Amino acid sequence: MNAPTPALVARPERLRLVGQRRQVLAVMHQRLMFAMVVYGGIIALIVLRILWLAAFGDHAGRKEGVTALVPARGDIVDREGQPLARTIDAWTISLHPQKIIGNKLELARTLAGLMPEKDEAAYFALLKSDKTFFYLRRRAPPQLVQAINAIGEPGLALYREPDRLYPQTSLAAHVVGYTDVDGNGMAGAERAFDDRLSNPAVRGQPLELSISNRIQQALEGELEEAVAKFSAVGAAGVIMDIHTGEVLALTSLPQLNPNVAGQGSPEARFNRATLGVYELGSTFKPFTVAMAMDAGIIKSFGKMYNCPNELHVANRTINDTHPFGRACSVAEIMKESSNIGSAQIADQLGSERQKEFLKKMGFLDPIAIELKERGRTLTPGNQWNQIERMTVGYGHGIAVTPLHLASGYATLFNGGIYRPATILKVDRDHPAGKGHRVFSEETSYKMRALLRLVVTEGTGKKADAPGYRVGGKTGSAEKYYNRSLLVTTFAGVFPMEEPRYVIVVMLDEPNATPETFGFRTAGWNVAPVVSKTISRIAPMLGVRPDKRREPNMAEVLPFIRTESEH
Amino acid sequence: MSAHGFKSVYMAASVVGAALGCYLISLNVASERAKLEAVEEKIVLAQRDIRVLQTEIGTRGRLAQLERWNARFIRLSAPSADQFVEGGFQLAALVRPSKRPAIEAPVVLAAAPAGQSLTRPITTSDADDTPPPAVAKAADPAELLHAASYSRPAPVVQKKPAKPELTAAVKPLKSATADPLAPLPLPAASAKAGAPKTSPAKLKDSNAAR
Repeated sequence: MNAPTPALVARPERLRLVGQRRQVLAVMHQRLMFAMVVYGGIIALIVLRILWLAAFGDHAGRKEGVTALVPARGDIVDREGQPLARTIDAWTISLHPQKIIGNKLELARTLAGLMPEKDEAAYFALLKSDKTFFYLRRRAPPQLVQAINAIGEPGLALYREPDRLYPQTSLAAHVVGYTDVDGNGMAGAERAFDDRLSNPAVRGQPLELSISNRIQQALEGELEEAVAKFSAVGAAGVIMDIHTGEVLALTSLPQLNPNVAGQGSPEARFNRATLGVYELGSTFKPFTVAMAMDAGIIKSFGKMYNCPNELHVANRTINDTHPFGRACSVAEIMKESSNIGSAQIADQLGSERQKEFLKKMGFLDPIAIELKERGRTLTPGNQWNQIERMTVGYGHGIAVTPLHLASGYATLFNGGIYRPATILKVDRDHPAGKGHRVFSEETSYKMRALLRLVVTEGTGKKADAPGYRVGGKTGSAEKYYNRSLLVTTFAGVFPMEEPRYVIVVMLDEPNATPETFGFRTAGWNVAPVVSKTISRIAPMLGVRPDKRREPNMAEVLPFIRTESEH
Repeated sequence: MSAHGFKSVYMAASVVGAALGCYLISLNVASERAKLEAVEEKIVLAQRDIRVLQTEIGTRGRLAQLERWNARFIRLSAPSADQFVEGGFQLAALVRPSKRPAIEAPVVLAAAPAGQSLTRPITTSDADDTPPPAVAKAADPAELLHAASYSRPAPVVQKKPAKPELTAAVKPLKSATADPLAPLPLPAASAKAGAPKTSPAKLKDSNAAR
């Protein structure tokens, strides 16, 4: 039973083999079929894709995104469209020490000859360094790039990268601001409008500032001259359109070159016009008078006050530079810039009303402007008693920025409406800021004659620009930490019979010169700056000089007692 | 039967032809578009170059630099209030020649030879007592008539003498207006609000410079 029967064993084996072959064949057929379908499918896909591309596709050389010139960062232009900041491609020279193949000592010598800011040893140290990358020069001039290229060293790489350039160099530097090496805004408009300038959707359109290059240059030129002449440590100047709040010029000296902002001193980077707060002295007196007029305390400039030689209040003595020693009218107080008179007016007004007016004029808050460099004002705060309101009445004990002062004068003379200052051009896309009333229209109107009087008869005679009807007020305040140092200011408005522009000029610590006969008060140093600046800018601003036009001086002239009478 | 068979072939051929035509058109369009893009790219590159050059010119001619030049060489100053005129009438009044009594002015005939005596009688003031001889000559009517009828052939020989005349006339003119930016001999005097006669030109200059 156990003996194997070959025939019986072999047959089923063969049978099984045949069955297997058939099965294998079927699987192979299936696989072949599947491979063919896949193959055909792929080919069909490729063919379809090619057909599709032929019919609707773009050709290979198509370049995207070159149809419009969009700078890496938006331009900043002035109100006339002149560029103040631009981004251009500048050459950058860098060093890859690992890739150097030439003689390093030789190369160091050549580099020191081409770029003398480092010496040979320093270059050699760089070349031998283990680091992979150094900037040798950013914003390299073309001659230097050519010379470096001529060396032919693969370790010296030349390439272009976007670079911020300020074509007008230091002009309006504190308004425009500057960027760091990576193109992020660090100050001024560059910082305030950083998002707008770097947003790809809108950066093709330049950012239009309210600054006017020519007016800015006139102000800067005249101020620079004054700073040099009176050896002042600094200066600030603001010119504003009183109706829209547009800042036409804003400068702070010493100058800063935003192209090399890093090299500027901290003093130069400090914006005195919006960040620095100063006790601006007698320039506050017109506000005191206007507040009193609005409050119904002063009904006419003929109202008399007792003006002794000295006024003693709460252990303090208030002095005048030109003491009256008699009763004097409001017009005289303003003309001679009497502290004693102003203090009495402020006292009658009271702390609460004074504070309320100052609040409405924005003097108790940081200045309303787009710039981020805004100084906090210093005020008596909660200690606003009699002596405080009296000193505030003539501009002491309260420290504000020069731009506050310009904004305050704009409020006072545009009909009494406060508007926030702006450094953007006011047009259809950017309307003027929303205003609110501070002074009545009548007060605003009457103040014109009073401030014109200061320039025609009083302390501001040197500020007059013949024909342009300048009105304004001088101010000379001692610095609180050193009473021998002065801050002299002139706040002016022109043309006075229909005010359009306000100019505030401030000199920080001016010294006396022989020409000023030893005086260093505002009437001697900043007033001439105002006069010269206005004669330069008024024709550009469309103000016609006319020697026959004047504000209604009948409001004030009857209340002035001439010197011969007493 | 055969026509039926070929119909499908024709159909296929026409479809292929149409597809080919469409393909060629799209190819053409694509190549045109590519050319346009190349031009656009060139424009953008040119704009970039213009920007760079404008920036360079702007930087070299920046206002601070202009002011420095002005302070050193050109010395223009802001116009004073007197230098502005109300209108054309006032401007004309500024350049009007000063009035002089013309009692002694001799009678001038309308037909007098133009070159000789037209200017002289007008400029003759009362200081000049001798009567100009030209007037006496012109008084002869026969001579006038003669001169008028014989003045025609003169232009025939104009070729040679005309040229030196022209250059002679141009030269002084050129030297008078040469180099408006050259330092003036008396800069301080001219920079100020000068005499009314010079002020219109001055006004124009200083306005243009601002």
